[in-house]
Amino acid sequence: MSGSTILEGRGVLKNFGGLCAVDQVDFRVDEGEIVGLIGPNGSGKTTLFNCITGVEKVDGGEILFKGENITEDKPYQIARRGLARTFQVIRVYRDLTVEENLLLSRQWGEVPTLRSFTQADPSLHDKAAEIADFLLLGHHLHEKAGILSGGQRRLLELGMTLMPDPDLILLDEATSGINPTLIQTIKDRIREMNGRGLTLMLVEHDIRFISDLCDRVIVLNYGKKMADGTPDEIKSDERVLEAYFGDDGGSDVD
Amino acid sequence: MSRHLILDNPGVRRAGLFLTALAVVVLAILPVFVVERGQEGFVTNSLLFNFTQMFMMIAMAASWNLTGGFTGYVDFGHAVWFGIGAYGTGVFMTKVGLSFPVATAGGVVVSVVAALLIGSATLRLRGPYFSIAMLATFVATREIIRIAKPLTDGGEGMTLPPYLNRPLFFYVTLILAVLVVAMTWWLRRTQFGATLIAIREDEIGADMRGINTTLHKITVFAISAAITGLVGGLWAYQNTFIDPDIVFIERRTLDIIIATILGGLGTVAGPVIGSVVFYWLRDLVWSHFLHYHLIVTGGLLIALVLWVPEGIVGSLSDRSGATPLSRLLHRNREEQSEDDLIETAGGSDPDGTES
Ligand SMILES: Nc1ncnc2c1ncn2[C@@H]1O[C@H](COP(=O)(O)OP(=O)(O)OP(=O)(O)O)[C@@H](O)[C@H]1O
Ligand SMILES: [Mg+2]
Repeated sequence: MSGSTILEGRGVLKNFGGLCAVDQVDFRVDEGEIVGLIGPNGSGKTTLFNCITGVEKVDGGEILFKGENITEDKPYQIARRGLARTFQVIRVYRDLTVEENLLLSRQWGEVPTLRSFTQADPSLHDKAAEIADFLLLGHHLHEKAGILSGGQRRLLELGMTLMPDPDLILLDEATSGINPTLIQTIKDRIREMNGRGLTLMLVEHDIRFISDLCDRVIVLNYGKKMADGTPDEIKSDERVLEAYFGDDGGSDVD
Repeated sequence: MSRHLILDNPGVRRAGLFLTALAVVVLAILPVFVVERGQEGFVTNSLLFNFTQMFMMIAMAASWNLTGGFTGYVDFGHAVWFGIGAYGTGVFMTKVGLSFPVATAGGVVVSVVAALLIGSATLRLRGPYFSIAMLATFVATREIIRIAKPLTDGGEGMTLPPYLNRPLFFYVTLILAVLVVAMTWWLRRTQFGATLIAIREDEIGADMRGINTTLHKITVFAISAAITGLVGGLWAYQNTFIDPDIVFIERRTLDIIIATILGGLGTVAGPVIGSVVFYWLRDLVWSHFLHYHLIVTGGLLIALVLWVPEGIVGSLSDRSGATPLSRLLHRNREEQSEDDLIETAGGSDPDGTES
C-alpha cells in the first residue's frame, strides 16, 4: 500500500503567545497512504495543517514535501508543488461562480502572462463541470458560490482541491455539515482517488469515518503527538481513549 | 433564491448596452455642431470641455475600480498617478522638448514604474492601512514635486506649449473612456479578472490555492496607474499650465471614488453610470451653491455609504458583483471567518439535503 515518504515533519513547533499549539511533532505520511489526524478540540490539528501549508510560520522544526524542505516556502509555492487543502472554516470565493471557483484552483501560471488575459481552456471547463457533477453541484455551475448552502460550499471546497491534480490533499473536517448519503459518496470517491495514487491526510471528528478510510491514524493532544498507529491500535490505546473520549468512552465525538 | 431585479433581465441589459452605444455615437458627432462664442446654439465649446472632463472621470473611475472594486484595495491616493502622468508629460515636453504623444507616453511609463515601486511596498498592507498609505504617498509626491524645482519648477508651476483644439481632446478622451471601459469588461471575463475577485474575496485562500497574489495585485495596480497617468498627461496638455496645487488635489481621488461607489463598486457599468451622474450633479452644485459644494459632496458620500452601499448598478441587479465599501475596508479575515462560522453553525445541522 505505502511507498516512499511524501510528507514529513520533524519537531514541528508552533507557539501562540504562551500557548504551544503544536509541540515538537514528528510525523510522516507515505505515498499512497490515507492518514487520519485526530485529537480533541484545540489539540492543534488545524494549526498543524496551517504550518504544513505555510500559512503559519513554524517556530521550530522543518517540513519536507516530496523530499524537499518547504518550511520557508510561501503558501502559493507549497500549493504549486502539488499540495492542496480544504479549510475548517469554509473559504470559497463568494462573488465568483462555482465554475470560476473551480477554474481558479488549478494553479495556472504563477506570473500573469498574456495567457492570463484570456479565458481558460475548454478542457478545463469540462473538468470543472465533471467535478461539479460528481459533487452534486452541476446545477449550480454558473451561480455564485455565495448562494450555496454551508454543505454545498464544503463540497465545492473539496472540488477545488481536486482541480489541480495534486499529489497530497489535506482535508480539515471536510464532511462536517454534509448529509450521510453524500458522505458515503465522498468516502467512495476518496478511496477511488487513493487507488489512483493520491495521498490524503484527514482531520475528522467522526471516528467511524476515520477508521473506515485510514491506513494510519495520528493522535494529537495539547499539541503533542500521543499516538501513531493503525485505526485498531488507536482504538484500543488506553491513553487515547482517556484523552479523546473522556470518561464515557463513546464512539463518536461531536 | 435570488432576487430578480431590473438589471438582471437580459433584455434590459441589452437595451442598456444599446443605449450606451447610441450615446457614444451621438457624442461622437456632437463637435460637428459646435457654435462659436456669442453664437446661438446648444453645443458650446464649454459643453465640449465638460464632456472631455467627464470622459476623463470615467476613464479614471474605471481604472480605480480595477484595484478598488475588483481587487478590493481601496486606493485613497489614486490621483497620484494623474499627477505623475501630468508632470511626466510636462517635464518631457518643456525640459526635454519631446512632442506631445511621445511625452505622454513617457509620462505613462513614469507612472507605471512608480506604481511598481510604490505598489510593491503599499500592496503588502490590507484594508484601511493600504488606503492610508496611498493617501500618504499622494501627499508626499506632491511635496516631492514642489521640492524638485530644477525638474518641475516647484510651486511656480510649469507652462506647456499651448494647444487649443477642443474637438481633439474631446475625441481622444471619448475614445480613451470607451476603450478603458471595454477593457474592464473584458478583463472581468478573463482568468486574470477572476483572480482579482478571488483576491478581494479571500486573499489568504487564493494564496493557499497557488495564486501568487502579490504579482497579480502589482500588475493590476500598474495597469490602473497607466490609465490614470495617461489621463493626467492629457489633462496637463489641455490645461497648458500645471502646478502642484492644481494637479495634486485630494478632491480628484474623492470624486473618482464617489463616482464609482455611486455607480456600483466592482461592476463594469458602475464607474460609467456613476461618473455621468456625479459629473453633472457636481456641475449643478457648483453653478448654484459654489460655497457649499464640498458639503454637498460629503453629504452625498455619507448618504451613499448609508443607504445605497451597492450603488446604482448594485441595487438594481443581483448578479453585478457590486461590493459595499465597508466590506472592502473591513476585510479583516477574523471578522469574515466569524461570519462564516455562524453561517455554517446555524445551517449545518439538519439541512444536509440540498436543493
Ligand atoms: N491564530 C491563533 N492565535 C492564537 N491562538 C490560536 C490561533 N490558532 C489556534 N490557536 C490556538 O491553538 C490551539 C490549537 O488550535 P487548532 O485550531 O489547531 O485546534 P484543532 O485541533 O484544529 O481543534 P478543533 O477540533 O476544534 O478544530 C487552540 O488552543 C487555539 O486556541
Ligand atoms: Mg481544527
